[in-house]
Amino acid sequence: MNLTLLRFFSNEFRKRRKKAALITFALFWGSLSILLLLAFGQGMSAQFRISFSGLGQDLIMISGGQTSKLYQGLPKGRRIRLYPDDIQYLKERIPEISLIAPESYNNWPVSANRKEINRTIHGTTAEFAHMRTQIPQMGGRFLNTADVKNGRKVAFIGWKVGTDLFGTENPVGQKIVINRIPFTVIGVLKKKLQDSMYQGPDADQIYLPYSAFTQIDSQLHIDRIHIQPRETKLSPLIEERVETLLGKKNRFDPTDRYALSIWNTIENAKEAGAIFKGIEVFLGIMGALTLLIGAVGVTNLMYAIIRERKQEIGIKMALGAKRRVIIQQFILETLFIFLKGTFWGLVTAFNIIHLVRLVPINYDGFGIEGYLLRPVFSFETFIIFLVIVGTLVFISGIFPAVRASRLNPIDSLRYE
Amino acid sequence: MIKFNKIKKIYHMGTQSLEALSGVSLQIAAGEFVTVMGPSGSGKSTLMNIIGCLDTPTDGEYFLEGKNVAGLTFDQLASIRNKMMGFVFQNFNLLPYATAWENIELPMLFNGKNARNRKERITELLNEVGLLKWKEHRPSELSGGQQQRIALARALANDPPIILADAPTGNLDSKSGVEIIELLSRLWKKGHTIIMVTHDDRLASHSQRIIHLFDGREAD
Ligand SMILES: Nc1ncnc2c1ncn2[C@@H]1O[C@H](COP(=O)(O)OP(=O)(O)OP(=O)(O)O)[C@@H](O)[C@H]1O
Ligand SMILES: [Mg+2]
Repeated sequence: MNLTLLRFFSNEFRKRRKKAALITFALFWGSLSILLLLAFGQGMSAQFRISFSGLGQDLIMISGGQTSKLYQGLPKGRRIRLYPDDIQYLKERIPEISLIAPESYNNWPVSANRKEINRTIHGTTAEFAHMRTQIPQMGGRFLNTADVKNGRKVAFIGWKVGTDLFGTENPVGQKIVINRIPFTVIGVLKKKLQDSMYQGPDADQIYLPYSAFTQIDSQLHIDRIHIQPRETKLSPLIEERVETLLGKKNRFDPTDRYALSIWNTIENAKEAGAIFKGIEVFLGIMGALTLLIGAVGVTNLMYAIIRERKQEIGIKMALGAKRRVIIQQFILETLFIFLKGTFWGLVTAFNIIHLVRLVPINYDGFGIEGYLLRPVFSFETFIIFLVIVGTLVFISGIFPAVRASRLNPIDSLRYE
Repeated sequence: MIKFNKIKKIYHMGTQSLEALSGVSLQIAAGEFVTVMGPSGSGKSTLMNIIGCLDTPTDGEYFLEGKNVAGLTFDQLASIRNKMMGFVFQNFNLLPYATAWENIELPMLFNGKNARNRKERITELLNEVGLLKWKEHRPSELSGGQQQRIALARALANDPPIILADAPTGNLDSKSGVEIIELLSRLWKKGHTIIMVTHDDRLASHSQRIIHLFDGREAD
């Protein structure tokens, strides 16, 4: 379109923009709510994903169960246990496994600094860290392969264990005594959101090399095997092969659903992810409806503008304006009005989101604020917003514009 | 150039209908200066609007340069108004928010003339009507006579062959009125076809031919 014509339109628009003030506010309000709802919705699912991976990412967890089927003359109701050599056995036979780690645990008294507390003590290997998001705070580390190989007396502790025993002191390098054997703390777990667990949150746990754990605890079997597949889509296949292999080795019917208990976070995450996506879409629609109120206001305003400008439209038609020119002018004015309101909505939403993100999260008492305080202003949010606004500009502008372009020039000119 | 064959225009208002033109047949050749006269309500404006393709007849045929205008689309008619017709109205009909310059520029914007040609043409036209100094003024800052001269300049923007002036002096004092008629005569001498409505016999005397309308019919 011609630039001079554009300037012409904008001059005409500027003379009457005061009329648009209330509607500008409605658009501001609508775009603010749409953006905030989208950002909080997205933040919620993101936080959910983080806290879900607080337990572990793409994880299959296997523990022993009780048989419910006969197997080679053996009765039902037998207890099935897992053993340390199952780890090597499965690793060698299932190449789809990326990481595998054993875990055993028991409650033991732990003392340090003349304080004594009871905590769950776990024995595991280095791979556990990657699967169960055990990220150490600065200056510490998780158990490594050498610790496990040599049965070193070292411990990795949750952050709450650290404060319970040492207060504000740095626990790394300090001694703790578990079942009368001294261990050196080598790392403290970094704070994280965690929404699923089986022995309380990781903040309260203590991890030892598996080889050291067997020295304080006489239990022969292991409580759980953690497996991470090479690709998430391999997880059903791995589950099936674990059942077959362990059935043969530990003697149970592989189709017996109760012989092993398998917890697959991948499948769970998929379901929960879909629910959160649903919530996001719902919030987006709510926001769009709010903006729709503003859009209806714009349509009304444009119809009023047609009445007011009947004569001008007639003059333009007499001078040879085609329908397209009239339509363009009305659509552009609709766009101007929208731009003003939505621009300030955008700026305000951006700042609110930014400020909310500065509020710290309390990781100890796990509450709803962990989900609410991290709204995300993503590029995706912005694009969705633009698409919604664009659509609304079009539908709220096109009807008045077409009506204006269909005026009869003579009727418009007779208007006094 | 213009040929009317039994043109009728009927206005419907609710249950009533009013015959503003009841079968007018006429011809106007290129380069003529014609005045349309008649009492108020006799259908002069209706006739002008149909000639200018601002309105369409209820019945009859209108040939413009030999082509039947009936059945043309809105945009085709818009193009005819833009290129072939220059309108001057009794109440000026300038755009209130645009300057004199911009008012004259508008018809050229609608036919896509480039910026340099526009500028040249507007300057030339403002000179011709003697208002170059007033180019940045809005209609409300101009006298009636000045406004009508700007309107005339605007009508000439795309150098249309036909000038339609519906009571151009109706809202002007006699001196300004005479100025406008003199401008129209000059245009006629340059070859434009002029069709003018007036109630004033003295002004009509500038033209070559007078069409008298009475009750929607040509009176002789
Ligand atoms: N849009 C319309 N709707 C209804 N009636 C109309 C319309 N336009 C004109 N008329 C009627 O048609 C008749 C002719 O009107 P027109 O405007 O052509 O008269 P005129 O000769 O120009 O009069 P004047 O000298 O007062 O300008 C009048 O009776 C008028 O009321
Ligand atoms: Mg009239």
